[in-house]
Amino acid sequence: MTGRETMSSFKLGLSILWPACWTALPIKMAFAMLFMAMGTIHLETKLGITFLMLLMTPVSVFAFFVISLGVGFHFGEGLGLPVLFLLSIPIDIWALGLAARTVFLERLRLEPPASLGVGLWVRFAVAGAIYLPFLWVVQGGATDLARSIIKSILDMDMLKHMPVAERIGLEFTAWGSVALLVLLALTYVGLSILGKLVEGRASAAQPAGDTYQGLISRWDMIRVPADQSLMLTAFTAAGAVLSVLFWAVLPVSTPHPHECCKPPTDAAAPHFDPQKALSKGEKAFKDAELKIAAIEQRAAEEEKDKQKGGKDKAGVKDGSPKSDGKPAQSAAGKPAGSGK
Amino acid sequence: MDTTTQPTTTQPSAIEKVLAFVDERVGLKTLQAKMLNEPVPGGSRWAYVFGSVLLFIFIMQAITGILLMFYYVPTADHAYASTQYIIHSVDYGWFLLSYHFWGSTAMVVCVFAHMSQVFLWGAYKKPRELIWLVGLALFGIVMGFGFTGYLLPWDQRAYWATTVGVEIMDKTPLLGDFMARFLKGGATPGQMTLSRFFVIHVMVLPAALMGLAGLHLFLFRKAGPAGPFRGSVEEIKAKTDYFFPRQIWKDIVGMVVVFLSICSLAFWEPIVLLEEATPDPGDYHPEPEWYFLFLFQLLRLKVFAGEFGQFLGAIALPGAFMALLAALPFIDRSPERNIFKRPIALIGWIVVMASILIFTVAAIINREFLE
Repeated sequence: MTGRETMSSFKLGLSILWPACWTALPIKMAFAMLFMAMGTIHLETKLGITFLMLLMTPVSVFAFFVISLGVGFHFGEGLGLPVLFLLSIPIDIWALGLAARTVFLERLRLEPPASLGVGLWVRFAVAGAIYLPFLWVVQGGATDLARSIIKSILDMDMLKHMPVAERIGLEFTAWGSVALLVLLALTYVGLSILGKLVEGRASAAQPAGDTYQGLISRWDMIRVPADQSLMLTAFTAAGAVLSVLFWAVLPVSTPHPHECCKPPTDAAAPHFDPQKALSKGEKAFKDAELKIAAIEQRAAEEEKDKQKGGKDKAGVKDGSPKSDGKPAQSAAGKPAGSGK
Repeated sequence: MDTTTQPTTTQPSAIEKVLAFVDERVGLKTLQAKMLNEPVPGGSRWAYVFGSVLLFIFIMQAITGILLMFYYVPTADHAYASTQYIIHSVDYGWFLLSYHFWGSTAMVVCVFAHMSQVFLWGAYKKPRELIWLVGLALFGIVMGFGFTGYLLPWDQRAYWATTVGVEIMDKTPLLGDFMARFLKGGATPGQMTLSRFFVIHVMVLPAALMGLAGLHLFLFRKAGPAGPFRGSVEEIKAKTDYFFPRQIWKDIVGMVVVFLSICSLAFWEPIVLLEEATPDPGDYHPEPEWYFLFLFQLLRLKVFAGEFGQFLGAIALPGAFMALLAALPFIDRSPERNIFKRPIALIGWIVVMASILIFTVAAIINREFLE
């Protein structure tokens, strides 16, 4: 189509929000990655929903806080999460401005008004702050209702004996379809609201006077940086800095091992000091030598005593026994005269 | 004062000299022109990034895989311990292994996305039939990577997923018994199984993938990009652009997003092993990797009970589906590429995707009933 497009509010909202979200995502994800490596973001089970909220920050930046505080939904832990959403504000303003300018030129054939990005971001963020919590509550309610109705239908006597695999598939398909339809309807309404907000800006814009080829050239130049080399250098430098930062803060061991499978907590082996080990070994040898010498001496003395004992025995026969200074004991080892 | 200007002759720098030397012998500039100056009908698009992203994921898988091989021991009595060592003792080992694991998941997701894009864009039609067929073979190789790599940690999950997979393969007529015996190398998975899976995972499949990916790219460059499926001739002509720089930029952004997503997943859910593999499942309920879960849940349906039912669900239906995909360019000969004017194709794609989603989620819900 080369003529001016007449776009519905829904299509207009979608054609700006969708590319803006994906344009901003890589930059936001780089920060998210860094914060995760620093340990300032902990996501336990809500990764999918948190990813969606991060992807849609042009509309979810305030809604994230409203849902967290108002509805009490727990996205994750850590200071990094709110910081990430606040950091995404300038990124989204740039991405929205970029996406909107291309749509204004190529699809609407209108001159993009000044500060289009900021203007649209304020409108989108405020609309999201009101609409997304509403969508959250309605969607949650509709899903719960659908699940309970489907469950009660499948609990009926005639369906009670359905095999487990069939029942699970049927139940999920039924409530999932209802939930999906509600979500699609709510998304349609939401995007139409955004489209109306864009129309407000478009109504004041001047028609673009260029030829189609001229417009495409301008549209094309918006999509790529004017100075490719500068952009490539900046991109590489930013990537290098982020990579260095990432490796600097990346935990050496698993940041959160599961409770079920914690690594064996072996005590760390003491530092090996060869000098100490050698002196310890030498000391052990000396001790052993001394012990051996003592044992040999004792054995030699016992041998002497035995030999002497033999002579003494011979002496007893001959005269009085030779005392070694110890009291004489009975054969049973009891003190003499104990009476027992 | 002498104001005459001397003609300045700029001497080539050292880098320029080296480049000129290589160019003279290799034809670098011609190669660069061929690689980067290819026209993209209708201009660059985000929908075209999946092929480049897949190549990037494969390169990253190769790098992380090589690094893991420095520590991994492919023997039945050391595979588990060496994997635990990688996770708990090697510096950043947990991250490397988790990245490799989630990278394989990303590869499967991107293959599905790439095939869907080609199907919806009608880019398999004449003269791109061979690109589609080679792409299907590459899809099979990616699935093979997932299947063979899953056994290597040698924990209960690995052991039983392989047992289930080989049992499914065993049901294939004629070749099934041979393939199952060849892969297992014995009555139960053991050292021979691990050795064979390891060799297939690190030698056979990478070589096959590199060869076929090269052929895929060659055929793609020969036929040229299909371009958008709608839009006036004037619009497509006005927006037509070279591959460099716009499509290259989009590809780079796509790679960055995928890289960061895999890193985030590695942080969010670092890989954790179960107990070491034993022929006794104990409390563990065997199940395959998530991308085969839909098939696993399908086989739980009563209609697929019994020997014939299992053959029907495990072999006949997936086989017929793959045969249909292979024959698609030769059946669908209409030149119409607009998916909104091909209702059967659109409905078929929605039904297949919805079925995969429903059965996968049902398999996850089904876990509650097993415990």
